[in-house]
Amino acid sequence: MKRDSIPILRVGDTLLITVHTELHDTVAEAFQEDVLGAIERSGAAGLIIDISGLDMVDSYVARVLADTGRMARLMGTRSVLVGMRPEVAATLVRMGYPMEGVETALGVDDGLALLATARVR
Amino acid sequence: MARLKLDAREIESRRAFFELTDDDLARLASLRTFADRHSKEIVDALYELILGHADSRAFFSDEAMVQRVKSLQREYFMGLFAGRCDVPYVEDRLRVGAVHERIGLQPKWYIGAYSRYLRLLLDRMFADFKPADAQAAFSSVKKLVAFDMALAIDTYNVAYLDTMARQQAAIRELSTPVIRVYERVLLLPVVGTVDSHRAEQIMEQLLVRVVEEQARAVIVDIAGVPVVDTRVADHLIKTTAAVRLLGAETILTGISAHVARTIIQLGVDISTMHTLTRLADGIELALGLIGREIRPAEKKS
Repeated sequence: MKRDSIPILRVGDTLLITVHTELHDTVAEAFQEDVLGAIERSGAAGLIIDISGLDMVDSYVARVLADTGRMARLMGTRSVLVGMRPEVAATLVRMGYPMEGVETALGVDDGLALLATARVR
Repeated sequence: MARLKLDAREIESRRAFFELTDDDLARLASLRTFADRHSKEIVDALYELILGHADSRAFFSDEAMVQRVKSLQREYFMGLFAGRCDVPYVEDRLRVGAVHERIGLQPKWYIGAYSRYLRLLLDRMFADFKPADAQAAFSSVKKLVAFDMALAIDTYNVAYLDTMARQQAAIRELSTPVIRVYERVLLLPVVGTVDSHRAEQIMEQLLVRVVEEQARAVIVDIAGVPVVDTRVADHLIKTTAAVRLLGAETILTGISAHVARTIIQLGVDISTMHTLTRLADGIELALGLIGREIRPAEKKS
């Protein structure tokens, strides 16, 4: 079976991942593996996951995204979730899954800015 | 008018209910010469009623206008004897109804005028035809007039519904005015009681605006909310959580001593929010989040 792989871009010492396709169970597992593998290889200081292309995020996908961020953190890479759509945010909060502990930003620019401030400290 | 969905099928169904058959329409068409002969005197008699009544006379400013509407009325009258009851006929009737609605002519004048119409027609029919024929002719015209009346009343209803929908939209908008106070800073003054429905609406609109304006900070001012109970506090916490997911921060201002006491006594944890008493402090904090500050102007020497 052909796997829809999600491209991972490298900008400076930050990894940028734009999620376009819906993350189904199998894709989500592979996604997590790919991201962590890329961090291991590159030793990137920051990770930005852009989900502006997703108009639906269920609790499973939300958990995968949050977990991936936490795992990256364990590996010393700070991660930011960016570009969440209003209706997705409303749904997650209504489901009682506000993704506590996950850093967020409005877009890729803000995400990069957030990662930059942290490095100065 | 699109709201009435008066397509061929609906017209068919109405005609069936008003028992308006093809025979009726054919009979009406055959009465054209009769109608033509009497149209002037019937319309004149109709306007005797309308102009003889102070309230209905008020719709007519001068004699020229009376002449104009009389000639339109004759067209309308002759329409009853066109022998048609299709989509263009209905559209024409609705257009007439809409004009009357717009000038504020209420249904009572409409129905009163129809009643006079029918009586005038009845008299002329029995004078011109044999009783059996007059009976049949009157029965047909009565059906079409009832059909027309229903259309007229529908026009009024639709107009009222439209007005109501517009007002509801206006109220909805007024209840959640999201104001852009500075580049990437939004202010939402909440005034009045917040129930679950309104809270949901506030959250949805606020989230959309945060993304639209790419806002980094949202100030929610609750100085105008009379009672903050556990439910309202819960809504505020949810909204804050959703705003955070987008990548922005929420600042809650306008917390009075009374509200502060209630929140603590209720045991609500709102530590996830920045909270302040004064809106001015909230604006300063918000500006700080976007790397700006308010400073006294330097004196020019």
